[in-house]
Amino acid sequence: MTFPALNPTSRQFSPGDWPVKTYKAQSGAEVRILYGNRRTEMKLELTYDNITDTQANQFLTHFDSVLGTFQTFVLSSAAKIGWGSTASSIDVSTGANWRYASEPQITAIRPGISSVRVNLIGVL
Amino acid sequence: MAKVFTGRDGRLLLDGVDQVKVTNWTLTGNLETLETTSLGDYQRSYTSGVQEFNGSATLLYYTDDADRNDAATVLKKILRTGSVSDTDTVDMRLRLVEGSVNRDVRLSAFITSVNLNASVGEVSSAQISFQATGALTSVTL
Repeated sequence: MTFPALNPTSRQFSPGDWPVKTYKAQSGAEVRILYGNRRTEMKLELTYDNITDTQANQFLTHFDSVLGTFQTFVLSSAAKIGWGSTASSIDVSTGANWRYASEPQITAIRPGISSVRVNLIGVL
Repeated sequence: MAKVFTGRDGRLLLDGVDQVKVTNWTLTGNLETLETTSLGDYQRSYTSGVQEFNGSATLLYYTDDADRNDAATVLKKILRTGSVSDTDTVDMRLRLVEGSVNRDVRLSAFITSVNLNASVGEVSSAQISFQATGALTSVTL
């Protein structure tokens, strides 16, 4: 099952980093070792305010279909809507995919209307 | 036939009793709106939230020859020695009369504030505020 194709109300993206380990000597000299050639651990927080319960349920269904935080998936283009630059800049790097960092948070607003917050993390 | 309503056409009924000495009433209806604007939109959009109804009225503190006091019923909803419970709502009908036709908004409400006053040279009156609970019982505007 694909990630729900809904336009988020807000989006917060953190680009992650390359797998670097830093060693610091007593003299203050720093040595950095690069352990990989791909950026990882991108973080994406998507908020969907005041959507219908049917739409909110799509996230629960999707969360089930990917076995919670276990499997990875590809984001829908709707999740990146409104970004005026290269779409891939706010997506996972090549070779990586998204998985849920935590379970979707659903807040009931009024009968039939809910808000959903989704936290994703990019992994290789 | 055209009709302009004035204060003379106004009535306030509390628990089915027409209050004789009412000088004014107001009713306010509010609809909360929930924003549904999403990324990529250029105009804000909304969906309906929950409704709310509240208002106020002024009743003269007055006793007639039969010792009847219109204001006492609502005043005692708050001015009392005991506590207020969920059953202490009043059935309110805010009415505009057009001949034999009554244009009503009927609701169940809590009296949320009472302001009873006595001033030199003025008739004592009580200003009350009310907060409706639940949906309007009926509307025949």
